[in-house]
Amino acid sequence: MARVKRGVAAHARHKKVLKLAKGYRGRAKAAFRVGIEKVEKGLQYAYRDRRNKKRAFRGLWIQRINAATREHGMTYSQFMNGIIKAGIEMDRKVMADLAAREPAAFKALVDQAQAALK
Amino acid sequence: MQALTKQTHSIKTADVQKKWFLIDAEGLVLGRLASIIAMRLRGKHKTTFTPHIDCGDNIVVINAEKVRLTGRKAEREVFYWHTGHPGGIKGETLGKRLEGRFPERVLIKAVERMITRGPLGRAQMKNLRVYAGPNHEQEAQQPEKLDIAAMNRKNSRIG
Repeated sequence: MARVKRGVAAHARHKKVLKLAKGYRGRAKAAFRVGIEKVEKGLQYAYRDRRNKKRAFRGLWIQRINAATREHGMTYSQFMNGIIKAGIEMDRKVMADLAAREPAAFKALVDQAQAALK
Repeated sequence: MQALTKQTHSIKTADVQKKWFLIDAEGLVLGRLASIIAMRLRGKHKTTFTPHIDCGDNIVVINAEKVRLTGRKAEREVFYWHTGHPGGIKGETLGKRLEGRFPERVLIKAVERMITRGPLGRAQMKNLRVYAGPNHEQEAQQPEKLDIAAMNRKNSRIG
């Protein structure tokens, strides 16, 4: 049977980790022992934050919609209440986009929400 | 106009349109005024609000020494600092500070504490100019007047 030398596999494994550690600070980018800890933690953060990203963006859309509705004398919560009562099923991402780039279209939404609240 | 896209639009520093506003603080309630200023400095009143970018407006405040404190805050609200020496805690009431050498610092401090701390917050604080008296040095920017008292009855106190 052929003799197996372990250096080749180990070098490949180290190379894989160090590739992921590019741009890290200090020895983490160059030394395997330090780098692997940072890479593992980094991947954990990445996994968690792919989920948190969705919440962060929803929060941002709400902040933008709130800014837009307040220009028309309504708060965010009043506006959303009106939108639901008017039976509009547009999501917050689209509404925030409309608010920033199509103020006229957003005004129409506000008018509908106000009408539904009366 | 750009077409609507799937991606949430994040404004670039170069695209930020900063306006100049002038506020006459005479007779306005300190905390209410500070919260409106803080909101505008951060840019949260804009539909293009982007959290990592300085997208707020520039604000000039005059007559900052004439802000109002409600209730008994002039005597009861104390500003503390520490000199670094043992037993070196010092304090001064807000009323005293308003009558002191730098009355505008009362308003600046109130706004500072309503802005997010960090490099961005410090940059945004630079967009605020506060003057104790009725004159300011930003005539060249032609700041637009902002009537805070008209926004809400509670924003100003007479007498």
